[in-house]
Amino acid sequence: MLYFSEIEGKKIETEDKIEIGFLEDLVFLASAQPKVTKLVIRSLNKEKIILPFQYVVKINSSIVIKKLYNMAVLVENELFLKKNLLDKQIIDIVGNKIVRVNDVSLQEKISINHYEWYLTGVDVGLFGILRTLKIESFFINCMRFFGIHIAPNLLPWGLIQPLELSRGHVKLNKKEEKLQNLRPEDLADYLEKTNETNVRKFLKILDKNYAAEVVSNLNINYQRSLFQHWEPDKSASVLEMIHPEEAVDILLAISKKRREEILHLVEQQTQEELQLLISLSRTSIGNKLTTEFLTVPSNFTVNDVISSIKKNTADFGFFAAIYVINEKKQLIGVFNLHELLMHNLDTPVYKFMIQNIIEIRLTTPIEIAVRKMLHYRLPAIPVVNNDKQILGIVTFDQVVDYISQKM
Amino acid sequence: MSTQEHSSTQSVLFSFKTRLLIFFSIFGPATITAMADNDAAGVATYSLVGAKFGYSMLFILLIITFLLAITQEMGVRIAIVTGKGLGDIIRERYGVTMSVFVFVGLFIANTGTVIANLSAIKITAGMFNINSTFFLICIITIATIFIIKGNYKTNQNIFLLSGFFYLTYIVSAFKARPDWNLAISSVFIPQNMHFSKEFIFAAIAVLGTTITPWGQFFVHSYVLDKKIKIDDLKYTQIETYFGAFLTDFFSFFMIVATASTLYAHKISLVSGEQAALAIKPFAGELASVLFGFGILNAGFMGLVVVSLTTAYAFSEFFGVEGSLDKSFGKSKTFYIIFIMQLLIAALIVNIPSVSLFRIVFFTQSLNGILLPAMFFFLLTASNNKDMMGKYINSKWYNYIAIISSIVIIIAAMFTVISNVLGLSNIGG
Repeated sequence: MLYFSEIEGKKIETEDKIEIGFLEDLVFLASAQPKVTKLVIRSLNKEKIILPFQYVVKINSSIVIKKLYNMAVLVENELFLKKNLLDKQIIDIVGNKIVRVNDVSLQEKISINHYEWYLTGVDVGLFGILRTLKIESFFINCMRFFGIHIAPNLLPWGLIQPLELSRGHVKLNKKEEKLQNLRPEDLADYLEKTNETNVRKFLKILDKNYAAEVVSNLNINYQRSLFQHWEPDKSASVLEMIHPEEAVDILLAISKKRREEILHLVEQQTQEELQLLISLSRTSIGNKLTTEFLTVPSNFTVNDVISSIKKNTADFGFFAAIYVINEKKQLIGVFNLHELLMHNLDTPVYKFMIQNIIEIRLTTPIEIAVRKMLHYRLPAIPVVNNDKQILGIVTFDQVVDYISQKM
Repeated sequence: MSTQEHSSTQSVLFSFKTRLLIFFSIFGPATITAMADNDAAGVATYSLVGAKFGYSMLFILLIITFLLAITQEMGVRIAIVTGKGLGDIIRERYGVTMSVFVFVGLFIANTGTVIANLSAIKITAGMFNINSTFFLICIITIATIFIIKGNYKTNQNIFLLSGFFYLTYIVSAFKARPDWNLAISSVFIPQNMHFSKEFIFAAIAVLGTTITPWGQFFVHSYVLDKKIKIDDLKYTQIETYFGAFLTDFFSFFMIVATASTLYAHKISLVSGEQAALAIKPFAGELASVLFGFGILNAGFMGLVVVSLTTAYAFSEFFGVEGSLDKSFGKSKTFYIIFIMQLLIAALIVNIPSVSLFRIVFFTQSLNGILLPAMFFFLLTASNNKDMMGKYINSKWYNYIAIISSIVIIIAAMFTVISNVLGLSNIGG
């Protein structure tokens, strides 16, 4: 993640180290996908150069552009970041003044052939101002010294009406009262798009509870690297605040040495609970998993489902529930055969599916899985990954052995 | 007389009536700002220079009236044409760094001004045997209630009522039985002026108490909050000139009241607030009480208007809702800044070890630093064709505005430099 305040005035040079000038402004498309299309450069002899973004190679201590480049002119629907967005008044949908744009956050998208920047949101908090004044980290350290944590206040791009922006207003599509701080899940999504250094930097300034929620929403790779890098005491304090099952997932993902260090610092009661869960997890669910299950999209009708059953489940050894997924293949609902048969042939499944899904993860100890199945009287329980995508199911048949051993 | 003539006379009459109505509908902001420029600190300064230099200072008033009219008019015009406050303009054109610096400077300087007003109230209340702490608490509570609860119109009317009480100075001045011929002629023809170091400092102090950064901010924001339409711009301009005249009309009587008593009898004042008691032997009980009441009233007006300026400026710089017409819930930050400004000043004024003299000194210097910046913003904005369109400064007006600004800036720099070097001794 980049902030405009951090790149404004950055040196621009070509790949063979010829200095061109300094970054003055960015040009972006006023749309739902606010791609940065051009750079405005103040050249060494004070001339203004507008450079198409496709010539940008990378950004480090300076912005590197290709050796050969052409200049450009503005096209329709393009706006200047600094001139048209930064420092402007933000109003909500009914015209109440809310705050000004203190900074703009950008995100790099890197693939083999493409290098692109997108605007991701506007910083409307105190940090945006402090960052421009170059005293952000000083302030954060001071606050931390007094034990105060302030959450950054970002408005995601999705809240801003692009059409109004072209008319010179920074207008939101919501009323002020409905505008809450970014939800932890959204922030986690947002952070996953940036690199780990930024994630760490970001989490450092968050309020502990909020940070813990954000951490638990990150994917396991991020979680692993965070806990591998953090001081053990910091890790421990975050662990205490997130759900024990999730904490175990994370602990199992990091090195054993590190795990011991962290666990050692966790508060006694939580520590015992986590230890227990870890020991249970050695009897993991992995070998109990079956991939014999049926998923359907939520717009399938009963009729569609029945033909899908006929087509796909002929060789299933066990069949009790049908799982509903969305476009991202995430599990969003479930229903059993009885419920299916009770509805008309043309009823779509989303009308009757159960959305409150009981699920487990790969790292869930088998004992907990069994407990859940017994408690909710489930013939099978779905196993999902961190993105809520279904990996398989654990059926009652497969845990019967385990139960009889315990009895 | 033919019918046609008759009807045209009527239409002239009618349109005069309409114009008068429009004038009264837009009347308020510039006059109130002008009145508030004569806050308690202002009254103290006028009393002091009146006592020390007599009528000779009156000629300076004429110049100040002119400067005030020109500078306030620019602010009012920019506000009505662009629909933006001075804070909005600074933020959008010069970015967040400049905004933070100007706001912090303004906040500190305004705290100083509010402190000066609070302490004037305190001293005056003390002289009339009123429990000053209790009185301060009452005044702050009342100010807070009517700012939060009242809308723009209520507040404007309270300010105007408060402005009405400035008439007390006229009574005090008449009771002092001055030499009216000399007084009035001193305004237009410099008389008995001695360009000593003290005189120059005093003149600059008078200028500095009338033309202030907060005054520029306030008139801008307050006109904006009234939501005056661009069609009525010329009425507001007339009001601005009227307001500038009114400020110094009252200043004239303040100076006359002390000049004809204290200066005439060679009695020196330690501080301006004592003027109310000091004129008693010469002007009588009524004049003294009215003068004291005038200071209380001016102090009240000053502390409310200056705190309000801080709140307006914050809202503009940082883009939160800030209007007297919005409820507390809708404009929370605005009202909280107002209350904070008052409370911080009230807290400092009640610390016994704090030297008021130093605070006033420091405030003067800070205002002196801020003023040049203010005029830079005003002049660049009022000369910006994109923002102002056809309402841009005309060529001659611009020359006058630039010369006025330079005079004010030189005076301001003079204050700063001499304060830093420790040359000035006015107010002591």
